[in-house]
This record gives sequence, C-alpha cells and structure tokens, in this order.
Amino acid sequence: MTEQDRAYLAQVMIEIDDEVRRRRASGDLPARVERELDELFLEHSPVAGRGGGLGEALRMVDAAAFIDPVVPVGSNKSGGAAVKKGLRSLNLWYIGYVTHQVSQFASAVSRSLHLLDDRVAELRRQLDAQEVPAAPVVVVSEDGAWWAADAAKALAGAPGRVLHTACGDGWLVRSLAGDGIDAYGVDPRPGKTDDAEAVGGGGGDLREEGVLDHLGAVESGALGGVVLDGVVDGMSHGERQQLLRLLGDRLAPDGVLVVHSLTPAAWDADDAPPEADLAPGRPLRPATWSHLLGTLGYSVTVHPGSSATDYLVVAVLDTPR
Amino acid sequence: MTSAAGTAGPAVHQFVPALIPRDATGSHTLLLRQALRDAGWRSDIFAEATHDELLAESIPLDQYPQHAAPGDVLVYQLSTSSAVAEFLLARPEPLVLDYHNITRPELSEAWDPEPARRSAEGLRQLADLAPRSVLGLADSRFNEDDLVAAGCPRTAVVPVLVDLDRLVAPADRRTADRLAAAKATGGADWLFVGRVVPSKAAHDVVKALWAYRRLYDPAARLYLVGSTPSNRYLASLRAFVADLGLQEAVRITGEVSDEALAAHFEAADVYVSMSLHEGFGVPLLEAMQVGVPVVARPAGAVADTVGDAGLLLDRTDPTTVAAAVHRVLTDRALRDRLVAAGRDRVVVHSLADAGRRTVEAIATVAGAGNVTGVRP
Repeated sequence: MTEQDRAYLAQVMIEIDDEVRRRRASGDLPARVERELDELFLEHSPVAGRGGGLGEALRMVDAAAFIDPVVPVGSNKSGGAAVKKGLRSLNLWYIGYVTHQVSQFASAVSRSLHLLDDRVAELRRQLDAQEVPAAPVVVVSEDGAWWAADAAKALAGAPGRVLHTACGDGWLVRSLAGDGIDAYGVDPRPGKTDDAEAVGGGGGDLREEGVLDHLGAVESGALGGVVLDGVVDGMSHGERQQLLRLLGDRLAPDGVLVVHSLTPAAWDADDAPPEADLAPGRPLRPATWSHLLGTLGYSVTVHPGSSATDYLVVAVLDTPR
Repeated sequence: MTSAAGTAGPAVHQFVPALIPRDATGSHTLLLRQALRDAGWRSDIFAEATHDELLAESIPLDQYPQHAAPGDVLVYQLSTSSAVAEFLLARPEPLVLDYHNITRPELSEAWDPEPARRSAEGLRQLADLAPRSVLGLADSRFNEDDLVAAGCPRTAVVPVLVDLDRLVAPADRRTADRLAAAKATGGADWLFVGRVVPSKAAHDVVKALWAYRRLYDPAARLYLVGSTPSNRYLASLRAFVADLGLQEAVRITGEVSDEALAAHFEAADVYVSMSLHEGFGVPLLEAMQVGVPVVARPAGAVADTVGDAGLLLDRTDPTTVAAAVHRVLTDRALRDRLVAAGRDRVVVHSLADAGRRTVEAIATVAGAGNVTGVRP
C-alpha cells in the first residue's frame, strides 16, 4: 500500500467517523439504541448463562471443568515464547499434578449439579402432571342484570372505592358511578376492557388485570367494597381461600363484599358454559358462602335469583380486623 | 480413487481429518495434490473421514502403512483436533504442518462446548506436532505466529490454494433470478459468506444492517451464506432477526453450491465481515475476485488478506459499520479504488502462483531433486 493510498483511506475513515458523530448528535440513532441492540441479542445468548436457564449454566460448567495445564507460550517479545515454553516444560509435571486434581474436583461438582438438575427436572415433571389450572372467568351478567340494583344499594355509602371484578366493558362501573359510587374494574381477559370504547362514553377506570394479582398490589384497608362477579364460580378451594384472605385485609372496616355466583345446579346443567367442565372448582351453595363469610366476621345476606340459576351474597365486614 | 502420479519412489502425501467438498481446507487439499502431481511428485490424500462426493479422491487413513515408502514426506492439513494428529506423531517420516488456524475455544465455549473442546484439543495437538515437524506452512502472518509459538523449527507463509475461477463460472440461474427479483424491489444487497457460528459474528452484521436500514436504506437486504453447524447459535440468530423485524431482509441460506455462491457474489453490492477470528478469510478473497467491495472488522488475518482493498473498521458498532457501507455504496471513487486494489491482491493468490510457491516450500524439505517439473 502506498503512502497516498494509506492517507486516502485514513481520510475516508475520518469522514465516516464524522458522519457517525453527526448521526448520533442528531438523534437519528442514539448510542442507547445500540446498547439495546446488544442487550437484545444477549437475551438469546447463553453468554454468562443468560437465556438458557439451568441447563445452559451446566453446559458452561462442563466446558470449564477441565483445567488445561498446557499454558499458552505465545509472546510478542523476542525469545519470550522459548522462555515461556522452557518454564512450562519445567513445571508441567507439577502444574499437571495440581490441575488434574482441580479438574477432578470440578468434574465432581459438575456431576453433582447434573444430578440435582435431573432431580429437579423429575420433580417438575411430577408437578406439571398435578398442576391445577387457574380458575376461568365465567361471566353471565351484563348491563341490566337483576342483581345490579341490589349490589348498588348495598354499596351505597361504602367506605372507599369499589372494585368490580371481571368488569368487561365497565357496565357495572358506569352504573355504580351513576349512583354516585366511586367504582373501578379489573378484568384479566385480553382486550375486554378495551370494549369500553365501543360502547361509548368510556368505561371509567378499567384495568386488564386478574383479581388476585390486583388485590395483592392494593394497600391494606384501601377498598370500600368489592363485587366478585364471574371469578369465584370455578375457583379451586386454595384460590378461594387466598382471595378471602386478601379481601379480609384490603377491605376497610364496614367494607362491603358482594358475591355474584351461579348455583351448583346451573353449573351442572347442559347449557352451562364449557368452562364449567374445565375449571378446577365448582360454585358454592349460598349457604356455604353464608357459613364461610360468617366465620370470617361478615354479616351476610343472600339474594336468590328468580330463575334459581344464580344468586347474590352481600356481606359487610363488621368486626374489627 | 484417483491414482498417484508415478508408482515408485518417495512421495508427498497429505493427511486430513475430513475431506469435505466446498470447504476451504478440503479444496486447498485437493488443489495442492494437483499442484504436487503437476510438479512430478507422487501424492495422495489420506483422510480419517471423507464426504461421499469425494470418496474417490482419498484413501482411508489406516491404509497409509501399506502405501508408505522411504523418503515420503507427510503434509498434515491442520485446522481442528483429530486422530490424524496422534497417527502422525507415531510416524517416522518428515512432517510438514499446513496450518489453517484453529478457532479459539473461548469464542464458542459458551455456545457449543463440544466444538470448543475440540478446538482446545486441536491447539494441544498443534503444540505436540510443531516441534516434531520439519516445516510449518501458514497462509497468513497471523497463522505463522501460531506455528512459531507452538515450536515449529521452520515456517513459511504461502498463499492458500483457492480456485477463484469457480466464481466466474456461470452462476446458478435460479438463484440469480431470485436475487435479481429481490434487487428489482430496490435496496442494497449485503453479503457475508462463512459458517454461521458465534466466532463469525453474523449477529453483528445483522445489527449493522438494522442500523443501515434505519439510517440510509430501509429496503436493504443481507444474505448470510454458509453452513450452519451450530444449532444453538442459528436459533439465537433467527430469534434476534425476528425481534428486529428483519425476517424478510435477512436470508440465512445454509450451504450452497459453487454456482449459487457465484450468483450471490454477482448480486452483492458489498461484502461485510464482522468475524471475530479469521485464519485467512477465503471469502474475502472471493469478494475481491468478483469486484465486490469489502467492509470488515480487522480480526485475525483479515488485515493481511484484505490490505488496502477494503474498509477495515477499528470500531464496529452498528452505526459505524452502516456509515462505512453507505460510504462505499455512494462514493463511486472509493468503490472503484477498493475494487481495483482487490483485483491486484487477488493476483498474488492466483492458483498457479500459490501452487508453485507451496510446492517449492515443501520441496525444500522433501529434496528439490525429486521435483521433476515445477509449472508456473
């Protein structure tokens, strides 16, 4: 390469660097975005065990378990490689003895980790076989449902905000707001809360979230009332216990709990929603709710539906927590 | 099996772990055998494993003792670990190491521990073989440094044997038509040729393409041409491409025929290499042969191979690579200069010249008197 060629290419590189600086300064492609590109690839990379889980980490342990006693002898200094090689030859018997033991130790650790991995994998397989699916949302109520008036009456004067679960397009939230009650809703079904836009006027404060997740994040005593609608019917016993535990803490004193549920008979009927067959649990009888909530310190009133397919339970938390 | 030239007297035989078609080492081995035979030597290839396409070109390794003759010189094509190394260590004949470099284990161990283990073993075998050899041949200064460090008593740098004419042969029409149809929709065509493995860092080329599309040319495409031996890396690369929304812009072709490769080079506007490790970089030479400008990370022997015939980037962040590619594609004078310099460099690597120089180097340890006719 001639000096002229070298100078020309150097000038081109300077101009490319200027272009890069100009692009970055203009915000066309900030350095932050380049970092995000690197991080994005790292998410797919096993480097440092990221993205690969335990199996990937174990592969790295395996790869590192062998300690190489043959030290590289490359050197930039004249004669350096020969000196290093001589030193390596002199020490290899000793280093080899030590590294052999270290390698054996590392292999034993690696083997132990693999055994643990196998054991965890087996446990996971067994747990997967026994996994209880989350309760489905089974909503049969809609705007104008028979029980909405009873619920509104019970919630009037609730000591705080009122939460409606499986709120859909926010029909009950809007209705309660019309009665002067500060209500909001949550619904875990994707896109359901977006339906509020379609019905016009907005649905108020609606969030795409499950009831247990939401209650888990709410402060103690922050809720004046909760309307459990569409969520308790197919709950497993464990989920229901967790829900009642959270409600007992999140409801303010004199807070109101409204439970709308299908009856067990409606759940077993031929025209029951398909989720009924797939749910981990089945609806409680009204008397069971009365018993359960009564033992938790609620004053309970049951409102049976006229068609015997559903009912409403109104419970007021009237004992000090 | 093709017969060796002559039937008696000493020979220069080559030994290779695996003889594979369209593989740089495999092609080099076949071309060197031809150069040796043209120079009057008896020469055969002994392989531990041979691809079906080349079964007629090699002899199983364990049959060498039946072919051995006093005065034989054994040339080992060394690019990975293999049982061939142990076999040769036990042989009394003079040994020439023709070293094509071994990818450093640390570049792949997090992805593929087994290839990394093989690389580490290969480096150990190099350390065992080098002091035992009479000559080490390297196709770059970078590789020669390894041979010297490993203890080769004598080394020489000779060009790798590449049949660049195969790229000026008629391109595969079907591939060419497909590439032409894509090009007709606009956008520059980037090309990288090499195994899709972590050390070749195709993901860095993808990052640069993403930046280039965002800054300069939203219709640009990238073709990654080469075998895909690392399923783990390939899956990660594909997922990364999908995350960036580049599924339509990035094509991972897998291994292709020489004719299809010629079509890719014919269609390419720029050759971009972000490889982290190159012992020589045959595809860089191929790009220069067909007049495709090169933008590359100067890793390993890349600077030796490319010289002033490409833009070698000290910084390889996506924006810099994108800006360099943009400059090459929009600055006609620069492009012409790089292409012309590339063609000059290719002359140094002409097959006839490379073959002659390699045979001459081997002859210095095999006894020049055995050479009956070195052809230029």
